[in-house]
Amino acid sequence: MLGAVLATILVLPVAALVLRVPPARLAARLAEPEILDALRLSLVTSVSAAALAVVLGLPVAYLLATRSFPGKRLVEAAIDLPMVLPPTVAGLALLLAFGRTGLAGRALEGLGITLPFTTVAVVLAQVFMAAPFFIGAARAGFAAVDRRLLDAAATLRASEIRIFFHVMLPLARPALLAGLAMALARALGEFGATITFAGNLPGVTQTMPLAVYLALQTDLEAAVTLAVLLLVISFGLLLTLRAAPAGRLRTRDADAPR
Amino acid sequence: MLRAELVRRLAAFTLEASIEVEPGAPLVLVGENGAGKTTVLRILAGLLPPDRGRIEVNGRVWCDTERGPVLPAARREVGYVAQDYALFPHLSVAENVAFGLRASGERGRGLRSKVGRALERFGLLELAHRRPPELSGGQAQRVALARALVTEPALLLLDEPLAALDLQTRREVRGAVRRLLAELPCLTIYVTHSPMEAMLFGERIAVLEAGRIVQCGARDELLRHPRSPYVAEFLGVNLYSGRIRDRRGGLVELVTEAGSLWVVDPGGDDDVFVAVSPREVTLFREPPAASARNVFRGRIVELAPEPPRGERVRVLLATRPPLVAEVTADAVEALGLREGVEVHAAFKASGVAVYR
Repeated sequence: MLGAVLATILVLPVAALVLRVPPARLAARLAEPEILDALRLSLVTSVSAAALAVVLGLPVAYLLATRSFPGKRLVEAAIDLPMVLPPTVAGLALLLAFGRTGLAGRALEGLGITLPFTTVAVVLAQVFMAAPFFIGAARAGFAAVDRRLLDAAATLRASEIRIFFHVMLPLARPALLAGLAMALARALGEFGATITFAGNLPGVTQTMPLAVYLALQTDLEAAVTLAVLLLVISFGLLLTLRAAPAGRLRTRDADAPR
Repeated sequence: MLRAELVRRLAAFTLEASIEVEPGAPLVLVGENGAGKTTVLRILAGLLPPDRGRIEVNGRVWCDTERGPVLPAARREVGYVAQDYALFPHLSVAENVAFGLRASGERGRGLRSKVGRALERFGLLELAHRRPPELSGGQAQRVALARALVTEPALLLLDEPLAALDLQTRREVRGAVRRLLAELPCLTIYVTHSPMEAMLFGERIAVLEAGRIVQCGARDELLRHPRSPYVAEFLGVNLYSGRIRDRRGGLVELVTEAGSLWVVDPGGDDDVFVAVSPREVTLFREPPAASARNVFRGRIVELAPEPPRGERVRVLLATRPPLVAEVTADAVEALGLREGVEVHAAFKASGVAVYR
């Protein structure tokens, strides 16, 4: 009974979305430049944001998983903060930091760099909101690697860097992929921080969630088209990344005698 | 040659051990679980820093807390086989064996031939492309040995290499490990909690008890003159240590922790150990008539039939000092021995081993 209620709450809205516009109309509207712009922008920014979250987050996650230092809890809480912060508050904070009159913004202005209301600002907002998800998952993945394997690698002459790339990384791979999926999804769906910090300029900062919201005021069909598109991408993303860790861990095999 | 002095504070006690290993003579480090055996190995391997200490291997100083240099594990020429083998689950058997060579910069043909020879030596050629989760316990152990030995370490540390195997496999593997130990060119330390394994594998045996080496020497010495309750219990002998209080007619009175006894005068005044074989202990229901110098009265705590057939029975006595006697099942019947019955136990002053 409860299951049925939950299923209704979860499934019915999705069905409503998909059934609203006939597929033929959907396909036709997909070719419209405003929709294509939003799609392109969303893909470019969210992939960039996820990549940045991985590059910046990996070392942080590794240090948090392997070292202890004074104030570690504080650092962890600070990193997790964006996950519990309302996105609009995050956008405001970003604006006060990187805006024209913001803390770092003034210095950037001096260098001729303006962040707010640019595509870079979109990426920044998405990184801010998505990185904690990746760092959290990666950190848990690193921490779960058996210490005895790390010890074994050390007695086998492996440096810390070698241990990281040849033991830690492959063994934490499922967790890293899960974290990547979370970060990508979070970046793709980011709305509040983006609209507050980067604005809503078509082709520059208007990502799909923003476009959906805007279209809702004037053109319901366009909104639904965008929404279905987002739905399909997100669902595809989840499916791919869920399938990946279950697959066999393929790493370089021995070049040993056969 | 390995020379090591190690001090490290642990939760329950301070580990304080001095260890020497000669080439060609593996040292077996035996002790109960929690005695600090694995800690010794971890310090030697460089996985755990000592509070104080010095480690020298073949003239090279790996660690000297007085003077400074402490080599990290990766820079020590050490082979370490952990109790659970710690094989890399994401790498094939061949890649596990190749790991240490790759880390030392070995590539190409040299790498392949070394890995190939190691696989062959340990009978792993057919398993080269398997992954550790697909291996049996005995196979995993061979991979761990091959992986540790292929880098030609100066010091090989084996932490209970048989403990993770089932009984059947252990019996099969024991001979192979024994032969391996005999032919290894490197300095070797073999850790076990089983005195039986220690006697089997070690020409030289060190007994570790609560962080201290209580006895270190040749196997025969250990068998004849145990100096720790742990080994004495394994050998099934009554072991006492005490100081000499009185001398009379070629005998001395020895004061132990619980009660005193008379033994043959070993000369000198230093503390001595006394080993009393349970078979030397005779039991009586009434006080015996003279002759034996050592007669103790006490209740029977436990009767335990001796394997395999229980023709002999071990009798635990709450005497001062406590004694274990071994008598025939017939004697148990004839004397009416049961738990709680009070008896007199006696052994001759000449029927015991006295040593320092």
